[in-house]
Amino acid sequence: MTIDLKSPFGALLLALTIIAFCYLLLPILVIVVAPLGSTGYLSFPPQSLTLKWYQAALNDTRYVGSFLTSLKVATITAIVSTVIGILAAHGLTRYEFRGRKFIEALFLSPLILPTLVLAVGLSIFFSRTGLLTGTARLAASHVIVCTPYVIRVSLPVFQRFDRTLEEAAQNLGATPLQSFLMVLLPVVRPAIIAGAVMAFITSFDEVVLALFLAEPSAPTLPVTIYSAVQLGFDPSVAAVSGLLVLLTMALMVIYHIFGAVRD
Amino acid sequence: MTAARPVLDAPGTDGAAASSPRLIPYVPVLLFAPCFIIYAVLFIWPQLSLLATSFVDGNQWSVAHYQRFLGDGYYWELLGRTLFLGVITTVITLVLGLPVAYLLARMQSRWAGFLLVITTFPLLVSAVVRSFGWMVLFFRDGLVSKLVVALGLASPPFQLMYTMSGVVIALAQVLLPLMVLTLYGVFRSIDRDLELAAMSLGARPSLALWLVTLRLARGGILAGSLLVFSLAISTFATPSLVGGARAHVMSTAIYEQTIELLNWPFAAALSSILLVFVLVLALVYGRVLEGRGQTEARP
Repeated sequence: MTIDLKSPFGALLLALTIIAFCYLLLPILVIVVAPLGSTGYLSFPPQSLTLKWYQAALNDTRYVGSFLTSLKVATITAIVSTVIGILAAHGLTRYEFRGRKFIEALFLSPLILPTLVLAVGLSIFFSRTGLLTGTARLAASHVIVCTPYVIRVSLPVFQRFDRTLEEAAQNLGATPLQSFLMVLLPVVRPAIIAGAVMAFITSFDEVVLALFLAEPSAPTLPVTIYSAVQLGFDPSVAAVSGLLVLLTMALMVIYHIFGAVRD
Repeated sequence: MTAARPVLDAPGTDGAAASSPRLIPYVPVLLFAPCFIIYAVLFIWPQLSLLATSFVDGNQWSVAHYQRFLGDGYYWELLGRTLFLGVITTVITLVLGLPVAYLLARMQSRWAGFLLVITTFPLLVSAVVRSFGWMVLFFRDGLVSKLVVALGLASPPFQLMYTMSGVVIALAQVLLPLMVLTLYGVFRSIDRDLELAAMSLGARPSLALWLVTLRLARGGILAGSLLVFSLAISTFATPSLVGGARAHVMSTAIYEQTIELLNWPFAAALSSILLVFVLVLALVYGRVLEGRGQTEARP
């Protein structure tokens, strides 16, 4: 550390940092802890502790159903955007051609587009063309939001990949397809996994496209929570949100342990 | 892919000549095709039809929706409030993000990685859930609203729900991790020896930071600010849940025009106006990053 944290200036930096961490974690802590209260309304800190709201959330078919819808949409989205994103990233780094920069910018551009604007455009588009139905509409829309993440994560890794490895494989008799599958893919695997995980989480958490495009009879979990929150503060909604936080936390721990072991 | 070049069937051929990849133009085209087709149908086409819809009134081309926006003080106020939200949110995330990112980047303990993960974690939790957490704290009996009253900043029947202050507090928390991550990357790329050199020449730590580190980081600071600003003026979930109808911004107004009022052409015009702001910011952002790349490339 170049700055002495015991000096007045260092203490100021440290104080701001501690405030920032409390600020970042406060609403997440609230959403996990508040449904532990036994009162019929949400309060923080909770009065007396009970697990009944968490139990109620797990037994509510509305929440379980929309959780499964979200899982389905996020899985389809993650698979499709990972496949097309990896192919595009490979094409962008493997070949030199005119307009390469333009194609790259186009493929990344949904990152800067507000999701709401995208959702309005897609709603107009789907209602005019009648293309796709049901959950497929939402998954297809999520692919546009998630593919740029896959490309952005994998581009630098593909660029760093040592091309002579592929050439060596082909000299030993591998077809280009074989060298792609057996040499390139294993090397860039961490990037593929990271891209797929990001695509999955982005789709699972996304609420705006889902509000516009999910089937009213089969909303995703964020939409169910969004609607329930606006109707009033049922502690079981908070319990569902709390479960979602705990699940994300568990997945993140698994991902980091898994990643650490592999490295 | 397989069509690109024949299998090497003669192991005796000259390695370099045989293995250099032949650039056959249709191979990259085949690799892009799936992505490009999906983008053309689900991204370019819908955005063009959004733009077209904003210029349609009844059955003919018209700029009526834009005239309505420009001629109505309510919408100017809406736009002003949205940009103001963007500015305040950016300032808060900068004030908190700079110290956090700096300390994380300069920390030499194993805690640094853990703290970085803690910083990113809120990004993985849906904005709906995070906003919900703030709502519990913002209602009349909520902890934060009570705190504001106890500090004497407001008189008793007070709540932060449905106010712009509430939206600012919640939105800055939602976007803070992005600011920290951007600044963290920038501070990591600045050699700490430069700070030490300034201090050994007699600069106080605060002055060394000001003269050396912040100067060098200003491109990254601008990039992080543009990112947060552009998300703050366009994001929907947090303003909608915390602000509701009493603290409208552009995004919630667009949503109201579509789902509630079914005035899709006007919603399309509002969306296009918002899009112009975001695109201009993105262009500036691109220029900033480019400029940074060039200065870093210099020896």
